[in-house]
Amino acid sequence: MTEFALSARGVQMEYRERHSTERLLAIENIDLDVEEGSFVSLLGPSGCGKSTFLKIVNGLLLATAGEIKIRRTGQARENAMVFQDAALFPWYSVLENVAYGLVCAGVARREARRRAEPYIELVGLRGFGHKYPYQLSGGMQQRANLARALAVDPPILLMDEPFASLDAQTRELMQAELLRIWNAARKTVVFVTHQIDEAVYLSDRVVVMAARPGRIVADIPIDLRRPRQLDVKLTPEFAAYEQRIWSLIQQPRAAPDAATA
Amino acid sequence: MTVATYRVIGARVRRPRNRFQRWYQRNEPTALRLVGVLGFFILWQVASEAGIIDRFLFSSPRDILAAAAHEVTLPRFWGDVRVSATELGVGTLLAVVTAVPLGIAVGWYRRVALAGDPWLNFTNALPRAALVPLVVLWAGLGIEMKTIIVFLGGFFSLVLPTVDGVRTVERQFLDVARSFGARDRLIFTSIVLPGVVPFIVSGMRVLVGRVLAGVIIAEFYAQTEGVGVMIAKAANSFQMDRVLFGVLTFTLLGVIGYEFVGVLDRYFHGWRPSLDGEEEG
Amino acid sequence: MTRLFPPYSTAERLFYGVIGFVAVIGVWEAAVQSGLLAKALLSYPSRIWTVALLDFGSGAMWPHVWTSFEEFAYGFVVSLVIGIPLGLLIGWFPRLDHLLSALLAGLNATPNVALIPLIVVIAGLGLQSKVIVVFLSAFFAILVTTYTGVRSVARRHLEITRSFGGSRWLAFRTVAIPSTVPFMISGTRVGAGRALVGVVSAEILAANTGLGFYISLYGTFLDTPRVMLGILLFGVIGLLIGEVIRLLERRFDAWRPSIH
Repeated sequence: MTEFALSARGVQMEYRERHSTERLLAIENIDLDVEEGSFVSLLGPSGCGKSTFLKIVNGLLLATAGEIKIRRTGQARENAMVFQDAALFPWYSVLENVAYGLVCAGVARREARRRAEPYIELVGLRGFGHKYPYQLSGGMQQRANLARALAVDPPILLMDEPFASLDAQTRELMQAELLRIWNAARKTVVFVTHQIDEAVYLSDRVVVMAARPGRIVADIPIDLRRPRQLDVKLTPEFAAYEQRIWSLIQQPRAAPDAATA
Repeated sequence: MTVATYRVIGARVRRPRNRFQRWYQRNEPTALRLVGVLGFFILWQVASEAGIIDRFLFSSPRDILAAAAHEVTLPRFWGDVRVSATELGVGTLLAVVTAVPLGIAVGWYRRVALAGDPWLNFTNALPRAALVPLVVLWAGLGIEMKTIIVFLGGFFSLVLPTVDGVRTVERQFLDVARSFGARDRLIFTSIVLPGVVPFIVSGMRVLVGRVLAGVIIAEFYAQTEGVGVMIAKAANSFQMDRVLFGVLTFTLLGVIGYEFVGVLDRYFHGWRPSLDGEEEG
Repeated sequence: MTRLFPPYSTAERLFYGVIGFVAVIGVWEAAVQSGLLAKALLSYPSRIWTVALLDFGSGAMWPHVWTSFEEFAYGFVVSLVIGIPLGLLIGWFPRLDHLLSALLAGLNATPNVALIPLIVVIAGLGLQSKVIVVFLSAFFAILVTTYTGVRSVARRHLEITRSFGGSRWLAFRTVAIPSTVPFMISGTRVGAGRALVGVVSAEILAANTGLGFYISLYGTFLDTPRVMLGILLFGVIGLLIGEVIRLLERRFDAWRPSIH
């Protein structure tokens, strides 16, 4: 039996207005198991709680109910987040930005920079270490963003719509890049997106979510062969998956555990 | 085979709160503010009585209140108030009435702007107190001189923001207006003028400080009548409690002035041009 | 948000600025020489220039300039040393902000000149009292801009530190402070201007040396050219300081927080 890297049970996120009794359920109930080394996408429209769930796993938010088990490894941090907007610090060079995650973990600056170096090359930014964010294009900034998360060498990589702010062509290239890096680094990835083709292309499993309240409506294994090239998007199998998921999104009344083959 | 161990992330625990805790949580800012202000005065009074600070030099809240109670019974005091109020009122009014139209003119007519701009900046950088001896040379030591000083302070704090406001107009609004064939005049009245208002309001904030300072500088220099003169004379005779009473009067005026501008600001808040990168929530 | 008139290049600004300046000087001189403008009113450029050469040449000017400079320097530096850290602290710790905000607002609402008699009584007529006045003049601008800078730190940036497990202290050091630097510099610019105003006010009202004293002294002598000289010197100094700091500001503009 494969080990789960992450296991969530009954996770709920409720917001309560300060001066009223109105309660908003951002997430109603999430049960999710993620196997080690797998690539899982959380797919759904805005407001379905996918980013919120990711933040709970990362520790930025605290759930109002439920629990999440994360597999302990030797590392100080088992997960690292790649944010939607690159949000690199304009006052740091690319290298210093990539090293930042390590600095936060308590690594001394010089050592952090040394450890961060290879990751710059890994994401294809060789030679740009000493440049500043404003000198980089959107796609390159996102690569740096990715490098920062990879530099802390987390077993689990959390990605919150990382390619949403990129133009279509760059996005496709980055998707392919991401798979290349994932193959090399063999991490567990939880990837949040609202783009169906992106989810199907990248993942082993697509977890479809619905909004109001946020919940899981389907869990679909993607049986396309790896390693996947970009042209797999043109195959009929790919289209079939897209179609299936699309109809699920349009009819979100399905029960939370409707995982159909 | 090694057994896997897990770290568990739990949910938020809701601690029970009694009524006081809940009230405090909602009103903490105000509560702390009160504590800050009251604490300051209490510490002052205590330090003064205990001899930690020199009561002669720094006075104490009680002494100041006593001096205040005495002052308001004197007709001389009310005479001073009337003089200062006149200087303040007339000077400010004149400033507003001249600065806004002039600012709009300078902002709107390109050539005037080019020539006038560096001089406006120069005179703005000029410390106004330096102009006092000059104005005295022109107008003597009477109430006119003082009103002019107040006017100058108010004028310069309002005219530059107005110019800025005219120049900074949302391109999109302009495009919309032009595409509908609006003529310059209409653009001016329907887009530029409302657009200037927020800038004028922010200029008002500077104005409050400047006109009050103007009253005081002018009165200190002239030494004839007014609340500012009262402060100076009391200082000369080391009556620190009266000095502080006078100072606090101006503090009060300043606070009222800023609050008023704050109200204007909130009222016209929606008129502000949106700034790139400014996102709410 | 675009400007109605595009900003001109530095060369253009300099060009028109110089033309404007020369034009005004020319018109001024002409007006006085032709009798249109009374000599006693604003004096006139050539006279002012003569007087300048006289007073600078004789060395009488320098002690005044030096005193003013000293007062400015000490007072300004102290206001930076206290204003910036305090601004950072009250920006970062909301509780501290609430505690002090009413008091600071009251201090700000009080015109600094009103405090001059008080300060003179406490600290005498010498350098110390002027330094205190200069400090008070610059302090608030620096405090408020630094405070605004801290409050404007991009939430996302702070989130990143938290996401990677960094401490609040690390976030303060590596995110809040660098992010606030552009605001600090703006505050320095505004503060320097205010400090200059403070120098003048303090000297005109309560001093026996300094450029402000120079102005006030010659004012009582009805020596308009010298009064104008003093005023012009202040104006020029103010402009120069402003421009220098503005250059610094532009250098760090890229550090301003902005979410794409």
